Amino acid sequence: MSEIMISLRDIKKVYKSMGDEVEAIKAVTLDIEKGESVSVMGQSGSGKSTLLSIIGALNPPTSGIIEIDGIDIYKLSQEKRADFRREYLGFVFQQFQLIPYLTALENAMLPLTTTKRSSKEKREMAVESLNRVGLADKMKRLPNQLSGGEQERVAIARAIVNAPPLILADEPTGSLDTKTGDEIMELFQQLNQEGLTILMVTHNPENTRYMGRTIMMKDGRLSMEQDDLVQVVSNKRQ
Amino acid sequence: MQLYHITLNNLRRRKAKMFFVLLGLAIGIATIVSVYGVVETMKTEMTRQVTEFGVNVVITPDAGGLTFSYGGITLPEIMYDVEQLSTEDVSKLDELSSNNMIRVVAPKLMGMYQHGPHKVILVGANLSQEFQVKPWLRVQDQQYGFQIEEAQVEAIETEDGKKMEFENIDLSRQDLEQLNISDGQVLMGSAVAASLKLVEGDLITLSGLEMEVYGILAESGSAEDQQIFMNIPVAQEILGRPGEITIIEMAVDYMSGSEEALLSELNQALPHTHITSLRQETLRRDEMLVRLVRFGMAISLLVLLVGMLVVSLTMSNSVRERTREIGVFRALGFRKYHIAKIIMMEGLLISVVGGLIGFIGGMLIARYAGPIFAGMDIIVPWRFDLLLIATGLAIAIGLISSIYPAYQAAKQDPVEALRFI
Repeated sequence: MSEIMISLRDIKKVYKSMGDEVEAIKAVTLDIEKGESVSVMGQSGSGKSTLLSIIGALNPPTSGIIEIDGIDIYKLSQEKRADFRREYLGFVFQQFQLIPYLTALENAMLPLTTTKRSSKEKREMAVESLNRVGLADKMKRLPNQLSGGEQERVAIARAIVNAPPLILADEPTGSLDTKTGDEIMELFQQLNQEGLTILMVTHNPENTRYMGRTIMMKDGRLSMEQDDLVQVVSNKRQ
Repeated sequence: MQLYHITLNNLRRRKAKMFFVLLGLAIGIATIVSVYGVVETMKTEMTRQVTEFGVNVVITPDAGGLTFSYGGITLPEIMYDVEQLSTEDVSKLDELSSNNMIRVVAPKLMGMYQHGPHKVILVGANLSQEFQVKPWLRVQDQQYGFQIEEAQVEAIETEDGKKMEFENIDLSRQDLEQLNISDGQVLMGSAVAASLKLVEGDLITLSGLEMEVYGILAESGSAEDQQIFMNIPVAQEILGRPGEITIIEMAVDYMSGSEEALLSELNQALPHTHITSLRQETLRRDEMLVRLVRFGMAISLLVLLVGMLVVSLTMSNSVRERTREIGVFRALGFRKYHIAKIIMMEGLLISVVGGLIGFIGGMLIARYAGPIFAGMDIIVPWRFDLLLIATGLAIAIGLISSIYPAYQAAKQDPVEALRFI
């Protein structure tokens, strides 16, 4: 029996705004197995990014239980959750979110900054990570000296530098042209084949063909459900 | 990579902004350093000038005409040719119950005398007493062994509890017996000797009396350079003012009795005179200086407060501008403490550099512009104790003004910061 990487049980998220309550996530239950690659699709406001932030240990749900690799992450203190993010999760944000005054190497090294590894070890890990995304020759460049695709690769290198078991990506190809977007998706596919679990929020249906399965969200719910569990539109990799 | 790399790289990126923050802070620190440096030097210099005189109480006639200055303290004007003090007044000093405090009494008669085409100042004085109260006086080309013992610093507490340090100059010169000149001898100031073209051993005729030049005083830059010294009765005779005294200078030992009691006794014994305590004058000037220091410090603190606000506002702005960046840091596993540390290090770094620049700038201002502002011929030394104070103050400012921005940064919700939703 395969192991569960992400387990969501009856997750709800309610935002209060001007006295009104808005239900962003409505009783979502979902399991994602280790080594899976899953894309979450849906219109703007469907709750997919909120779901990603909840899974990313950044945004506590109003109710429900979420476990990652068996850890009930919202039972951890805020600071322990920060440590958890560093050790278990790799984030790839919308529009790369690289730090403009740090080089590609330093950006890739960021998640290691607060660890107790030696400077040499941190550097070696970051170089290795940039190698994996094919950017070893541009390590000393600042983000504004890199193309959009290269910046995305640095963002991916930063997400995998710590060898986390789970990668969370939010619209990673949103600001890239189709060709570069495809290259990036191939990179994600490759990382998944190397054993990483990947959960990606995307608008682009083209991206779903690189992922093992796709979850559709609508109005804070999984729009395709079967029984109590998850459902899914399966896509075969092409 | 360490957290400080992030701090340093960010500061490098925001050069212009950081330059202005540094400038604000450096101006504040420089103001404090320069004001403090100048005023402290003024204070030391004034105390030194006053304590250079063996004299600390001066009795003058209660009228004006001639100005005496002691270390910048100007006494009321007195007139040469008006009888106001007498030798009887001098002898009254022996009868005072507090006379044990009086170490030296140096009375003298001063008057203008027309010597051919030259107007000269004749001073009738007891030379050994005169030399005791004016330690800087030297006779040219004579080895008297005028070794003044190293000044002993004494702290005197005033009635209102303030402490003042005085150099207690040892007046016991071994050569004083040799300064007992006869009635037929004079001691000449260097300037007057030069203008009359006289040297040691020459003769000078004053009002029909032929007198021998016993010696020439070494040039001291003081009023004595212009004066011709002789015994009091001789001066009284030459000037035609028998029994008269122009001024009585005294060296008083404040450690052996009450200053107030002595001054009060003097006032009672010599009611027609004006008695000035140089120490009290110094204290008055010291009080003025203290007020000046307070004023200067208030202005400096105000400037510093503005500097602190500039740092704090700039840091806060910087935190706001870096909202997404901080969100990324948090998402990547930075603890709140790490975020606060990055911001605090920025504030601290700017402050330390600002403090150092402020110290150097302040000292340069104090050294080169200080004498002009103070109107005194002072040399402000490099004060490395001020360097510690300046950097300490700057560090405190850096920490205080970074606390709020650091708190702002640390409490940022990473979800909001990243606009995940």
